[in-house]
Formats: sequence, structure tokens, C-alpha cells
Amino acid sequence: MAEWGVATTSMGGGDADTTEESLLLDRLNRIQNNAIGYFAVHAHLSALRPNHKQPHFIDIAARTFDTLIDSADATLFGLTNKDLVLICREVPVDDVDSIMEKVRGLFSEDPLTEMDEDSFEDRFSTWYDLSNREDFADFFGVITELAVEAEQKLKEQAQQRDQEKQLGDPLRPGNLAEINQKLAGMRVADMIKRQACLQVRTGGGGELIFYELFISMAEVRERVAPDINLFASPWLFQYLTETLDRRLLAVLVEEEFDELQDPLSINLNVSTVLSRDFQNLHRAVGSNAHKVVVEFQIIDIFADLKSYSYARDSLQERGYRVVVDGLNPLSLSYFEPAGLKSDFIKIAWGPEFTGDEEDRRIEEMREVIAAAGKDSMILGRVDSEKAVKWGLGLGVSRFQGFFIDKLVQVIGRGRQPATKKVAS
Amino acid sequence: MADSGDGKKRLPSQENLLLDYVRRLEKHKVGRKVVHLHLSGLRPFNRRDQHIRTAAGNFEPLIGDMTGQLFILKNADLFFVYKGEAQPQVETIVQKIRFLFDDDPLVAEEDKQPLPFASWHDADRDYESILKMAQSYADAEEKRQTAVRSRMDARAALRAKQQQGEPLTPEVLARVETALERADLSNLVRRQFICAVDAKMVPEQHFSELFISIKDLRETLLPGVNLVANRWLFQHLTETLDRRMLSMLTKTDGASISGEISFNVNVATILSKDFQIFDDNIAASRRGQMIIELQKEDIFSNLSSYLFAREFVQDKGYRVCLDGMALDSIQLINRKRLGIDLTKLVWNPELVDGGDEVHEMLANLTRDEGEGRLILTRCDNREAIDFGKSIGITLFQGRYVESLIAEDSRRRELLRLKRRIERS
Repeated sequence: MAEWGVATTSMGGGDADTTEESLLLDRLNRIQNNAIGYFAVHAHLSALRPNHKQPHFIDIAARTFDTLIDSADATLFGLTNKDLVLICREVPVDDVDSIMEKVRGLFSEDPLTEMDEDSFEDRFSTWYDLSNREDFADFFGVITELAVEAEQKLKEQAQQRDQEKQLGDPLRPGNLAEINQKLAGMRVADMIKRQACLQVRTGGGGELIFYELFISMAEVRERVAPDINLFASPWLFQYLTETLDRRLLAVLVEEEFDELQDPLSINLNVSTVLSRDFQNLHRAVGSNAHKVVVEFQIIDIFADLKSYSYARDSLQERGYRVVVDGLNPLSLSYFEPAGLKSDFIKIAWGPEFTGDEEDRRIEEMREVIAAAGKDSMILGRVDSEKAVKWGLGLGVSRFQGFFIDKLVQVIGRGRQPATKKVAS
Repeated sequence: MADSGDGKKRLPSQENLLLDYVRRLEKHKVGRKVVHLHLSGLRPFNRRDQHIRTAAGNFEPLIGDMTGQLFILKNADLFFVYKGEAQPQVETIVQKIRFLFDDDPLVAEEDKQPLPFASWHDADRDYESILKMAQSYADAEEKRQTAVRSRMDARAALRAKQQQGEPLTPEVLARVETALERADLSNLVRRQFICAVDAKMVPEQHFSELFISIKDLRETLLPGVNLVANRWLFQHLTETLDRRMLSMLTKTDGASISGEISFNVNVATILSKDFQIFDDNIAASRRGQMIIELQKEDIFSNLSSYLFAREFVQDKGYRVCLDGMALDSIQLINRKRLGIDLTKLVWNPELVDGGDEVHEMLANLTRDEGEGRLILTRCDNREAIDFGKSIGITLFQGRYVESLIAEDSRRRELLRLKRRIERS
């Protein structure tokens, strides 16, 4: 019976002899002269979208083979690049197939698992009959290349480990208290950044919708929690934002809203909007509510829909606009965005939407966005022209992100920054 | 159902039925008469339920042959609308009823009373004042119902507030979590049954939910602390509780807990080692008897992880239940697309108060779900069960269901005793 190696985690030495790839090559060498009944299945998990290649997903996928490994002559190798290789002897193909189906099912949301109806091409896995010399040679070649890449990867992983150390301890209730305390007392005005939300016209040029003001988490971390990973727990992070809300409001209350030329948006918790701190802001805003946009995170909204509805209604009644933020474009298929009755819906661009191929997913998403109201969509975290193109292809015309900030500079707003007190 | 004309739909109380009837009477008022028996003027001990029912029973023959229509108001007044030709019989009946109460001052000292025992009206001549009176009774009844409900809500809210105590802070949370890691929580585990309830209110157990009682947790570990005060800290706490619940289930499963069970977990926990260990210890057949309950904010806070986790657990045979749905969220979230097996809708009077449109929407939803996939939870009174059944829900959970179970077991116990006695 075989053993299951662990090369998918960033642990273990950098010795070339002990990588999974080298162990696999050893095995192949031993099989070579007596390969009757042997075959290999290579699952190309490395080709999955980045967000599907998380260690615990791969781990779970690997464990799917457990029953097979325990009951048959099969060995699983977890390669450095996250591919899985199964070496079998005299194992019924159907048995392996059914496991592969399960693994495929785990990643059914990923385009890699799509089977083109017209061709037999399967990008998810490749099978090799090791008793056939050509197959064996092909496979051996593939693994040899991967072994070379693995050495390189190990070096990178060592670097990554250092980086992870830099990410720091996860945010926990224990360190949260101290961080919260420090935040409550510090000056945040110079940590406030802003990012433009632009409506891109097909003829070129753009119109500013609003500037989003936010406290830079990188700076917060540097000043208040240098060794802590603030994003370790979404709940504790959200708790932290409640304090950040209050600090931001304290700065904003000093603003001269009458003189404000461009609308601004701020992220707030629903609970903050229903609090006295917001009442103070509202007084300062006066008749300029149309210049202020409030952004709520979807995690906050779904935690208490009633309070959100109440907060949204009271904001809109007074002339403020409301944005639903924190949405993965994927999530638009799973609920009715229009039901949240916000003015805008912000979806976040990510590397997983490379849009290299014309997916059926893109068509689906285009429909979903049209149904949700493409005019209310904002594509955020836009870091490249590719992202803008992708968005435009889906019917989205409003964008926000580093790349947009650059565009704004190029287009040359020529105006003074929105406020004197807020850093740009 | 009576429509008050202001667009609100009401519950079918006698007052509303009367109002409805009087309105329809307008077309047939000629030749009809009304007698109003002011039994509300009787001394309290003379106007108990059985007295009123006896009095009302006298009208039976005239109701049976469609000569008249009787309405018994909440205040005990009787309203009888009848065809003019039956005047002699009605007078005889009213005399009989007077006789029933002849020792009450309302009858014995009628001349001293503000209201007579009976007022007689001609439907045609007095139509306007009859209509006005019916409307005022209906209004008063609606006010009363609203007041009762809000008194109950206010009382419940007050009780909760008194029990709450100090709000949870990160420091306290840290101490709680440390204590939780070491504490034996097995005696804090509670069980609540999800049952079908037949027409006689006899419950049939389908599965049970296992959970850690937050109230008892607080009393044992942290008296005087409001664990639920801050949503985010509480969510973080539930992650710890989930893990402890899983480890308890890992140890005790099989022997002690029979039947189908459900328990709450976070998506993050499903993808963790804790769940792997738990799952390893569960027989494949047992998995099909387990239901995993998830919260919507958890699902949407990381949708990709949810989709992966759902695929993973359903493939193993577990079922997935979406907990904590309400009227607004159930219309918003595409549960079919999320691949949910069961849904828990939380009982709230607003479900009834929403009127016909809401009832119809919910009934359609229940039908579309399919038999037994929608569960009404937090049923703490009979109204919840009645309402659920009226829209096609067959499974219920809550304090009232627990009381039905207790009652049923008492009944069975008595029956057993009786049989034993009979045999001896």
C-alpha cells in the first residue's frame, strides 16, 4: 500500500532528492523494466484559477483518493506545483475514473473542469499507459521538467515563507483589544487616501462619479499592528472597521461640505450609520447629502438585512447614495442584487477573471449584470487595461482602482483636490 | 378577508367578518333586522365562555336554516342579523337568553344600566349607524391585537435586555476562548427536535438540532456578560464553539446520539483539519444522517470557499441547511443555485401580518421547494404552527414544538399506565 506525500505545503527541506518529483522519478525508474499493468493519471490542478488552488482545497482533493489508496495498489504524489499524480497497478480504470469525477466535481466552478462537448480534450487530467513505451517516455519527460521547476519553486517558497512571517500573527481577540485601543486614540487624517470612481465613455474620456475615501490598512498596520495579519478573520476585521468608521467620521465632520466640488464616498458599518456619530456627520453635511455616498460591505448587509434596509432607506430619503461593496462578481448569480435597492453595486476585479477564453461564464455574467442593472455596476480593484476591457465587455461602464487613478491623472482633471484637509 | 379600504388586509376575526358582512348587506338590507345583545355589560363572572356559548347556541335553529347570521364579538356582545319575517322567533330567543342571565344586574336592573340588554335595529333604516358601529368594533379589535402583540414583544425584549449584561469586548472574548478550549462543554449541548405536526397537534420527530446553549454558556462561564452584543465578536466566538461541538461529536457519535442530526458550522471550519478529523471518524452511512447548518453571511463572505465546501460535503453524503432565513432574505437569495438541501425560515408575526400577497408568495415558495425542505423555526406558539400549515410547511422547530413533544409523551405514558392497569 502506498503513502501519501506532502509537497503541497510550504514545509520541508530544499533537498532535491526528497521532493515529490524526485520520488516519483525514482518510482518510474523502478517500474520501467516491468511496467505491465501500470498506468498514471496526471491531474493538472496547477492550471486551476488562483483562488481555487488554496492549500486546503488541494488537501481535500488529495484526500478524495484515500479510499482508493487504501484498497488498491495506488500511490498518490502531490507535486510542488499542486498537480496530483496517481500511479496505479492493475486498478480498474472505472474505479479511478469515479474518483476523478469527484475531484472534478469539487472544482466544478473552475473552467478547467469544463469538458468541451465536441472534442474529447480533457484539460483537467491526462492518462498514461506506462506499459506503452511512448506513453512512458512522454510521462517521464513531463515529470523531469516539473522536477526542474520544483527546485526553482522551492527557492521561491523559502522566500514566501519569509514573506508570510512578515504577514504576521493572525488577528485574534487577544491582540485585537490592544489594536482597537490604539486606533481609538490616534490621528488618522494623514492615513486617509482617496480613489476615483470613473464613468468611462466609449468615445474616450471619463466623468468622475465620486472619490472614495478610505483609511489605508497598510499604514494602519505599520503604525498600530506591525506584526499582525489584520485580514486573518473577516469577523474581527469587521469589528476593527467599526472603530475605523468612528475615526473617519471624526475627521470628516470638519469638512466644508458646501465647498466640496466632487462627491465623496466612505465605507461604513450599518451599525455606524444608525449611531450618533453619523448624526453628527449628517448635521455637518447639511443640504449636501447628494455629494455623499455611503458604502456597505455585503458581509455586514447579510448579517442583518433589516437594519441594512432601514439604514439604506433613511440615507436615501435624505439624499445620500448607497453602494453595496465587497461583492465577488460570481455572487451576482446567487442572489438578487436589485433586491438590495442600492444606488450602486461594486464588484471586485481579480486575477481569476483573466478572460482569456470566451467562456460561457462570461455570457452568463453579462446576462446577470444586465439583469441586475449594468448602470448601477462599478468594477473595483481595476489594476490594468485588461480589467477595464473585461468590464466593458460585460456592460459595465464605471470603474475604480489603481489603473483608474492613473487614467484620472492622464485625463488631467486639472482641479484642486476634493478637500483641503483630505490627503490625495 | 375584510378589506378595510386602506389597503391593509386583516385577520379574519369576528369583528372583521361582521364588518365584511355588513358591507355586503347594503344590497340586501331591505327586510332585514339586527339585534345587538350587550352581553359585555354582564358581570365578569356571568360572561364566561360557556355562558356566551350557551347564549349563542340559542340562535342555532335560525342559523341552520339560513334565516340569520350570528357574530360573537371579543367583548362578548352578540350580533344577530336576520330576515324580518323571523322577528317573533328572534324575540323568543332573546327572551330565553334574558332568562339565562336574569340574576345579573344587566337584566335585573335594566332601567339603571347605561345600555339595554338588547338593541333592535332595522337594517334598512339604520344602515349607516350599523356600518359605523361595525367599523368601530373592527378598528378596536385591530388595535387590541396590535397592542397585545407589541406588549408580548416588548416584554420579551425587556426580559432579554435584563438578562444581557455587560457587552462583550475583545479582552473578554479572548479569555472566553481560552476557557472554551479547555472546558468540558458536553453538558451545555442542547437538542431541539424538528417535527411534522398533525392535525391533532401530535408531533412526529424527523431530526434534531444539536447546539451549545449560549444562555447556559454565559451562566457557567461568564455571568454578567452579553455574548451577543457585538455581532462580529459573536461570529468569531461561534467559530470556536463550532470546533468544540465538532470535537464533541467526534468523540460521542454513534453510540449516544441516534437518528438524524444537524449542527451549525462555519464554512472555514468545514475546510479545516478539525472537520477532516471529525469526518474520518464518521461511518459513510452515518454521513447521510447528518445535516450541516450554515449562515448566509458566512456563505457570502467567501463564496468560492462555500461552493467548494458544499460540493465536498454533499459528495460525502451530508446535507446542507441554510439557517436563519427571514421574509426579506428568502426572496433575495437563490437557494437552488447555492445548492441548499434544506432551509430554515424563522417564525415572526410579520409573516402573518404581511397579508395575502406575502402568504401567497410563501405558499408558492414552499411548493417549489418540494415536500419537507422548508422548516419553520423558533415556533414559540400555536399561531406559528397554524400559519406554517396554512402555507404548506410541514416541518417545525421551537419551544412550542418541544412542549407538544412533552405533552405527547405524557399522553403515551398515561396510556401505557392505563393498559397496564387494565391487564392486571
